[in-house]
Amino acid sequence: MLSETAIRKSRWKHMKRDKYLYLLLLPGVLLIFLFKYVPMYGIVIAFKDYNILLGVLESPWVGLKQFERLFRTPDFATIFANTFIISFYKLIFGFPAPIILALLLNELKNGLFKRFTQSVLYLPHFLSWVIFTGIIVAFLNPVDGMVNYILSTLGMRPINFMIIPDYFRTLLVSTHIYKEMGWGTIIYLAAMSGVNPDLYEAARVDGANRLKQMWHVTLPSIRSVILILMILDLGNILDAGFMQVFLLYNPLVYEVADIIDTYVYRVGIQSANYSLATAAGVFKSVIALVLIYSANKIVQKSGNNGLW
Amino acid sequence: MGMSRGDRLFSFFNHLVMIILAIAMIYPFWYLIMASLSDPKLTALGGLYLWPRGFSWDAYITVLRDQSFWSGFRVSILVTIAGTAIGTFLTATTAYAISKRRLQGRMVVSFYILFTMLFSGGLVPSYLLIKELGMLNTLWALIIPGTLSAFNIFVMRSFFVGLPEEVEEAAKIDGANDLMVFFRVVLPLSKAVLATIGLFMAVMYWNDFFSTILYINDKDKWQLQAVLRNLIDQAVQSSGAGPNGDQIHVSAFTVRAASILLATLPILLVYPFLQKHFVKGAMIGSIKG
Repeated sequence: MLSETAIRKSRWKHMKRDKYLYLLLLPGVLLIFLFKYVPMYGIVIAFKDYNILLGVLESPWVGLKQFERLFRTPDFATIFANTFIISFYKLIFGFPAPIILALLLNELKNGLFKRFTQSVLYLPHFLSWVIFTGIIVAFLNPVDGMVNYILSTLGMRPINFMIIPDYFRTLLVSTHIYKEMGWGTIIYLAAMSGVNPDLYEAARVDGANRLKQMWHVTLPSIRSVILILMILDLGNILDAGFMQVFLLYNPLVYEVADIIDTYVYRVGIQSANYSLATAAGVFKSVIALVLIYSANKIVQKSGNNGLW
Repeated sequence: MGMSRGDRLFSFFNHLVMIILAIAMIYPFWYLIMASLSDPKLTALGGLYLWPRGFSWDAYITVLRDQSFWSGFRVSILVTIAGTAIGTFLTATTAYAISKRRLQGRMVVSFYILFTMLFSGGLVPSYLLIKELGMLNTLWALIIPGTLSAFNIFVMRSFFVGLPEEVEEAAKIDGANDLMVFFRVVLPLSKAVLATIGLFMAVMYWNDFFSTILYINDKDKWQLQAVLRNLIDQAVQSSGAGPNGDQIHVSAFTVRAASILLATLPILLVYPFLQKHFVKGAMIGSIKG
């Protein structure tokens, strides 16, 4: 009994001693509470019929009615499928791209050339999607874009890529890879720089050429990094790239391009259908949580370190 | 140098691939620079630009005379400076406190911050919060919500953990309290990480466009990216519809190229500094995050 009060007393003493540290902590904790945790509580409106006059707290509870409404929306299946398909393509094509690029960069022995190439490859990551979209439009514009100029010199008719559903997902996936591929190499390159040079020496003694060294020495050394990033990407599979789609899509390609996030924006913010849009958002977050949890479990079961 | 023929061939093709990729990354900028400097009358058919066709500063003059461009520029500068200053400072104070092992409740606070990376309220609840706080259509809505991110806090925390204890202890023996230690000893020692986080935040604020779309009505409070977006959109629509005379549309193209370049300029100017710091920042973050 005595010792317990003693512990409490010493804890209080410690907290008093650290009062200035708590003072430093306070503004951050309050801001995070206000801008991160209050919106988390705001999710309850997915289970309410939000009325702007009544506010979040006073609006009536409606159980799962909003979700029923959501699933009955004729477009919802299409939107869900679009989200998944776009993400899936980005994963299939976009995930290996930085790995391959990092393997190639790692083989460059000329320091100056390597640094220059890296600088240039990282640059697109820092451009905003607005600017990037501007560049895409400048290239693909049917009247004066460069791509159509090339097509016409080859005797083909100009194509308005931005409004043809067949091309739209390819456009999304390829521009995504182009923008993020270079930046994605950083983590892999750092992991590669930690490989023991003796391993390469041993491989050379065994007669392995550069390609074989890449395959048998470099690639295995980054396996755990690949797995971690894979789990994270799977957790984000319902994030098909909101900014990019939002800036590039138009009603003519909704059938292939409309994703959950753009739907949430249009229904929630533009049409002020707050509860329905929040239900769509919650549906997405829950699936993401389940996916990241399962991916982590599978990785752990196969004998590797997961995220937690 | 003892390289086999296969290895030399590999090396050759590897360099070739890298050069092609580098050109692919640089050419869009070259294209825009050349297009923006071209004579508007000669850009009607589009095409490849290796050099400007004719020569004219008209596009830049048009952009620099445009009130909405300057207004967007001012708003973006203000938001970027304010957001970066407040954000970097609060990231540092928060990260410093949780970097101290002796702090009671440190683990709870760390998890409290980490959890915001795993789960979020989403778009609509965040929008309704800003609305109920009365921040709609104010610059505060562009500045405050983005100031703190769990990622940045953890990057900075791992930097503070690596600082040598002795310096801080010495200051304490001289009678300094935690606040004085933080401001007079720790912050001056942390210029590198403050620069890294500051640059990341500045790029984020400068590139932000969606906050304007969500929260701002008055055109004089639009961020530059939103102004730019508007311009690009108009150009797309005019080219799709076609009733506009060629002359109007063509001049819009050179103007668009010039605006894109001018809006990218600040990023290109800080890019060398970014480069110096970001690899380290991204690394620490990826390991801790």
